[in-house]
Amino acid sequence: MASKSRWADDDPETEAILAQRKREKEEKRRAKAEKQHQLEEAQKQKDAAANADSEAPPKKRRRLSNDQQDDESATEPQSKERQDKPAARKLLRFPVHEWGPCRHVDNFERLNHIEEGSYGWVSRAKDITTSEIVALKKLKMDNSPDGFPVTGLREIQTLLEARHSNIVYLREIVMGKTMDEYSGINHALQRDEDLPCPCPTTNRVFLVMDFLEHDLKSLLDDMREPFLPSEIKTLLAQLLSGLDFLHSQWIMHRDLKTSNLLMNNRGEIKIADFGMARYYGDPPPKLTQLVVTLWYRSPELLLGAEKYGTEIDMWSIGCIFGELLTKEPLLQGKNEVDQVSKIFALTGPPTSQTWPNFRSLPNAKSLRLPQTPSAPSGNPPLLPRAKFPFLTNNGLHLLSSLLALNPSSRPNTQECLAHPYFREDPRPKPKEMFPTFPSKAGMEKRRRRETPEAPKRGQEAPKLDFASVFGGNPSSEGGETGAGFTLRLG
Amino acid sequence: MANPSGLKYLSNALATLDQLSNSSSSIDGVSPDLETSIRFAGTQLTQAAGVLLRLSQDIISQAVVTFTRFWIGAEGGSLRIYSVKDVSAAALYMTAKLSFQPTSPRSVLNVYAFLLSQDASPLWFINPKGSPETPPAPETYCLTEGGYQSGRLVLLRTESIILRTLGFNTHVALPHTITLTYLQTLGVSSSAVARRSFEYLNAALLSPQLLYVTHQPNALAVAAIYLAAREEGVKLVDDEWWEVFDVDREELGFLVVGMRSMEGFARAEREKWQGRTIPMVVDQVDGEIERRRMMEEGE
Repeated sequence: MASKSRWADDDPETEAILAQRKREKEEKRRAKAEKQHQLEEAQKQKDAAANADSEAPPKKRRRLSNDQQDDESATEPQSKERQDKPAARKLLRFPVHEWGPCRHVDNFERLNHIEEGSYGWVSRAKDITTSEIVALKKLKMDNSPDGFPVTGLREIQTLLEARHSNIVYLREIVMGKTMDEYSGINHALQRDEDLPCPCPTTNRVFLVMDFLEHDLKSLLDDMREPFLPSEIKTLLAQLLSGLDFLHSQWIMHRDLKTSNLLMNNRGEIKIADFGMARYYGDPPPKLTQLVVTLWYRSPELLLGAEKYGTEIDMWSIGCIFGELLTKEPLLQGKNEVDQVSKIFALTGPPTSQTWPNFRSLPNAKSLRLPQTPSAPSGNPPLLPRAKFPFLTNNGLHLLSSLLALNPSSRPNTQECLAHPYFREDPRPKPKEMFPTFPSKAGMEKRRRRETPEAPKRGQEAPKLDFASVFGGNPSSEGGETGAGFTLRLG
Repeated sequence: MANPSGLKYLSNALATLDQLSNSSSSIDGVSPDLETSIRFAGTQLTQAAGVLLRLSQDIISQAVVTFTRFWIGAEGGSLRIYSVKDVSAAALYMTAKLSFQPTSPRSVLNVYAFLLSQDASPLWFINPKGSPETPPAPETYCLTEGGYQSGRLVLLRTESIILRTLGFNTHVALPHTITLTYLQTLGVSSSAVARRSFEYLNAALLSPQLLYVTHQPNALAVAAIYLAAREEGVKLVDDEWWEVFDVDREELGFLVVGMRSMEGFARAEREKWQGRTIPMVVDQVDGEIERRRMMEEGE
């Protein structure tokens, strides 16, 4: 039978056996539920008979603790301190979390499709029992030989941990198949040797998250005018505060971009899509270089740095800041090489003063810098003022430091939040005063503009040849004037 | 006021009353003492496999906690449906995958093939004869290619089942690091106390009282320090120092008793099963239950 199971699908006999097994399984389960019910009944009767106040033994443990405190402070005067300042004896109680099995996705009624991202598929849905509107995100199961995709596991783990007002709230995980089906499969498995798909039990996993009306990308696309300076300040401060929390919990997001920032009609912005997020440590673990969507990817990643840190998120923040100011993505490279040239065109090329070690990065070896580097003053140098005409000096300073080529020159989230930019006029606009916008996600299909996607996991990091960044490629046709040097696009 | 959600990092999900009073296995007719024995053996198996896989103790500890959580409650896993050895392997594999030291299905399955070998295993509850004098034949503990292929499917499927059963709650906060912080706060510089505390904490992972799913890490840390300091004769401050770490006397007392009973419990288990193996797969559990039933009827 074991040798036959490879063809089990088209063998009616085996199918019958499987069906039989499944039936048995179901019966067993029903019997189990029944038995548990009986047990519960018996327990209830026992409880009722035994004593009136037997409520809950596990709560008892916690309750007793409090009781004891009360009792002791009431009856035992031995501890003077306790009587003197009972408030000081208040012990911190951790929030008590519980766990339970995943619910079925049928508890939600799907309303409309929102978007297809690189890491899954999102739709608006209604919780049937509570009528709350939520966003359902289907995890991509890539049938990997390693089982449940680690990116999905990390996304769930980091989101569950990252409870912050500026991070999208993950309510629960639901699944697409019932308990019976999978326990049946498991049983069958111990007898039959192989079944075709490595994980049919979890091919439908959904994250249930709070629904937000907008993502920042489509909002910017649809707006006639960019946000006001005071609004940008509020948005940026919220973004930084969410990211500050993530970094304080040792989580790197690794895919910050405007389409991953959600916004509601109450002026609140929340970081979403943790498909690339992961814990890091000190010393840092081995990390993949294939992170962050190209337009938001930092120069050290593009130059192939094997070690990187939270600075890559700060670079993305800089890109987002620029995008909020101009309404257009700041650095829209066509490929890695083009991205690097666009970056250098904006910031000026790296020098040994601004970025001492960049020459040792793997992809920097092929990088040929122009002979006469225009050496802008300051470290990091200020970005060209002409590009951001309506930004204050403080704002330009913050933006320039976020977009510093040298990762160690970039400020961390704390330093950003303390930046004078947030305290000068115009002050950040109160969230309540934010304008509202018609929600595309709420009612209709999103218009999708072509933006590059986050790199796919499992790819090899490309060995890039940056020889052509500064016009080394003779076949290139178009040219563009950059910051003090000529740039040709391949 | 600091964001209270930051505390998630230091705290764990705990089992509820319902989960502690009903287990899926007991509903399926596994007696509580048999369940305790099997779970105890399973935690040891996980620990041993983690050591052979050269995973660091924090990963192993997290895997043991995940393994323990899986069996708890009426909606948890039943020993008559899932094999302990599979859940142990999948918990370890999944925890390592999320950690900084991922490991491959093949390594995991190789290690489990060795540990579950009735001839070669160093574990008393699998190979009661103890290590043989002459090395056993390799085929008694080596994984065949076919065994690997089928084992991998079971491993990955069990991983999904664990995730579903726990609602993807893979977060496990451990008491070890805060134990060191507390020791520093208490001004204890003795490394013997630190070592002994860790020994208590690691032993408590195997506790039949399920200490890691009923108590928060700070309480476990305080109890381990209390015991270690007493044993090593290191005097701590006179006052009720545990309250500084948000543990009350009652909880401390319970944990101290629980941790100290570990040694006796382990001894008793070994005596109880003297010369016999503890069931590691569903069929063996069924067999053991049948055997006990026959014994009862015979008497």
